[in-house]
Amino acid sequence: MKKTKIAAVALASLMSVSAMAGCTKTPGATTGTAASGETSGAAPAQVKEFSAFFAVPATTEINKDNEIQKIITEKIGAKCNETWLAGQQASEAVGVFIASGEYPDFINGGDAMKALYEAGALIAWDDYIDKYPNIKEFFSDYEWSQFRQSDGKIYWMNPFENIYGADKTTTQNGEAFWIQARVLEWAKYPKIETLDDYFKVLEEYNAANPTTHDGKKNIPYTMLCEDWRYFCLENAPQFLDGYPNDGSCMVDVNTKKIMDYNTTPTAKRYFKKLNEEYQKGVVDTGAFTQTYDEYISKLSTGVVLGMCDQWWDFAYTVNDVFKTQDTEKYGYNYIPLGLTIDKGMENQWYTSGGTLNVSSGIAITKDCKDVEGAFKFINDLLSQEIHDLRFWGVKDVDYKVDENGLYYRTEEQRKNAADPNYKTKHLCTYSYFPQWSGTSRDGKNAMMPAEQPSEFKDSLPEPVKKVFEAYGANTYIDILGSVNKAGPWYPMYSYSNNMKTDTAGGTAWTKMGECKHAWLPKVVMAKDFDKTWDEYMKAYAACKPEDFVAEMQQELDKRIAAYEAATKK
Amino acid sequence: MASNTIKPEDLQAHKKVKFLDEAKRQPFLLISSALLLIYGIIFYYIPVIGWITAFQDYKPAKGFFGSQWIGLEKFKKLFENKTFYLAFRNTLAMGVINLVFHFVTAIAFALLLNEVRIFIAKKFIQTVSYMPHFLSWIIVTAIVREVLSADGIVNEFLMNVCGNETAIDFFAVKGYFWWIVAFTNVWKETGWNAIIYLAAITAIDPSLYEAADMDGASRFQKMWYITLPSLRPTIMILLLINIGNVLNAGFELQYILGNDVISDVSKILDVFILDWGISQFDFSLGTAAGIFKSVIALILVCLGNFIAKKTGDERLF
Repeated sequence: MKKTKIAAVALASLMSVSAMAGCTKTPGATTGTAASGETSGAAPAQVKEFSAFFAVPATTEINKDNEIQKIITEKIGAKCNETWLAGQQASEAVGVFIASGEYPDFINGGDAMKALYEAGALIAWDDYIDKYPNIKEFFSDYEWSQFRQSDGKIYWMNPFENIYGADKTTTQNGEAFWIQARVLEWAKYPKIETLDDYFKVLEEYNAANPTTHDGKKNIPYTMLCEDWRYFCLENAPQFLDGYPNDGSCMVDVNTKKIMDYNTTPTAKRYFKKLNEEYQKGVVDTGAFTQTYDEYISKLSTGVVLGMCDQWWDFAYTVNDVFKTQDTEKYGYNYIPLGLTIDKGMENQWYTSGGTLNVSSGIAITKDCKDVEGAFKFINDLLSQEIHDLRFWGVKDVDYKVDENGLYYRTEEQRKNAADPNYKTKHLCTYSYFPQWSGTSRDGKNAMMPAEQPSEFKDSLPEPVKKVFEAYGANTYIDILGSVNKAGPWYPMYSYSNNMKTDTAGGTAWTKMGECKHAWLPKVVMAKDFDKTWDEYMKAYAACKPEDFVAEMQQELDKRIAAYEAATKK
Repeated sequence: MASNTIKPEDLQAHKKVKFLDEAKRQPFLLISSALLLIYGIIFYYIPVIGWITAFQDYKPAKGFFGSQWIGLEKFKKLFENKTFYLAFRNTLAMGVINLVFHFVTAIAFALLLNEVRIFIAKKFIQTVSYMPHFLSWIIVTAIVREVLSADGIVNEFLMNVCGNETAIDFFAVKGYFWWIVAFTNVWKETGWNAIIYLAAITAIDPSLYEAADMDGASRFQKMWYITLPSLRPTIMILLLINIGNVLNAGFELQYILGNDVISDVSKILDVFILDWGISQFDFSLGTAAGIFKSVIALILVCLGNFIAKKTGDERLF
């Protein structure tokens, strides 16, 4: 009896101790094993293991025994275990890291990088960049300088949208009003320039063809408004007015002044149009309550004829589903349209030359035990051999090389590349580590399969090819017909994304967001549009948007001055 | 012991001896209560030190000692924020609705279950009813979302049996949200909450029921005049404990099921703290809101206790 009691006490205390121990450990914050100080030479005997957290939901989470990851690890002697955002917002997740004070080796905190810097969580890059040629080469000195923080040092690099050699961009990676190829084919490829044209085609098509191939009812137009993804609803007015994606404001190119796109006549006309279409039943009634997952699964069934969104937000998932389910032939793939509010205006939906968003990127944290190793890891991932492995895959397995040295894929290989199972067990892109688009260092191929001209053309579904022929286009970008007038300050969102409530402008920015989240659904659904719009404008004015505009103006002036100083030299 | 006469000067020594005696006989109780005490100090008292950040412009890089003291500025910022009041109202409303439903359904369920004569049926119902308690809230939100979706079971029923023409979007109507939350809580927790009442019912002296039988009381009368009054102390204590939790009206349900259309009624204090505190890295503001919640909870508990004292009921302190 007594013995069991003692055992019970021991067990209880053991449990409480282990419960406490469990508390001190943050999941995902296990640090790398940091094998040796070795930075050069062939694969070291012991594999270095790093950890990384990316404040975005994973598009693909690879398996532990992923095949290409293994090959890369063998070649460079290091690997990285990636953790992704799940069920949280980026800033919440980063806030939790900061509050706990423990970090993984690599971190990409999305728009919360400044907060990580301010919390003293990051390693400065200045002493390392010159040692790693592939990293150094990634940006020009002026570009690197834009990453400098208030103490004059560099703490992260943006991994995306950087072009090596000749630009081979084929896809509108950014925003557009998208329309299914089947609608365009049915309407005999008309010229669609304005919002009115767009909805007219959608309505007419839906009246004539109310269902998909398997009898599901079409949804002529939907919009995603969940959380930060509500840009699909709210920022179209800037594009409709012919401005590029500064994201949070428009910049008058002549006067160099910040303008608010939320209150323009164009904004009112855009929302009025949505309101009309909503009352007609053209706009999806479930649009405002759908989650991102629901939105993606809606698009994947092919029922949605059109929406406003950014390519990366839907296409990677949705197009892959069309490919694997073999529904591409019904013309469900989306074509971008460069709409403006009135006819005959120039549009800037697409901005060429890559977009440098200095507000976010990949950083190395103070908890990383082997900083040199971490830099070497990034450097190695950017070497051509590894870059090809990441994005093209294994030669002869994932792609073939013709007699001229050009890479191409067979139909089966393309299907594999779109197959979720194949992606998790075979492909390893280290998708949030730095990567190139544009031309490969061999001068022939593209860095990314999607940008290989022959590969791009061959992989297009039949209905999309027909659209391209009808409009005389070679790429998605040709269809948009955008002009490029973005100034050196572009994109302004790289500043506003970092704004927090610690400044008057940031407080206004947060309140404006809250206000728009609450009011835009009301505005679109309102029975009496004009009255609701006036109420919305009143509530919006109470958020003091002028404070936000003033702070953005300061940043704009600063950027222009910095650019002038840099170009004078 | 009774034969000994105790002198006042011996009393002290005697007490000491008695305590040691007692202690020797129950080391297990002492150790386990000591563990509980340590647990309480570590997890409930030490974290309160963090409250000082509410009076600072707290920056994690500078820590407690390096951050600037700003007095009540964060509280001012909090009370100037309109969304805060909205969130407070919603939290209070959902908290009160949940509290009322919690008690009414758990007690009613316990009383009814107690009247079930067939032992196996009783056990079966009890097990089935408390199972949902073990589901995580994330799973429950997914179930609720599915059940109430356009092609979910509720809309199927309404359209096929009740003759509704179109599906109702339950998450787009402000009037429904609080009741969806309340009902989900009832579904998940009623069986579990009833357990304590069922236990209390078994402790009621059977002779009371036998006497009532002799007097010819019906089953309903026995329930009303014996079972329910006997449960009164249990009910009062649980009520007092739960009043303090009114502002903890849940988090996952509102966070996940809320959307822009109904944010006026779905946003609760914990979501507000997430939006304006953690997401903005304004930990001070979040802490200030947390302190506010604790103060309100303390006031509610004291008030409840005071009323219980006045009416002569069972109370906490």
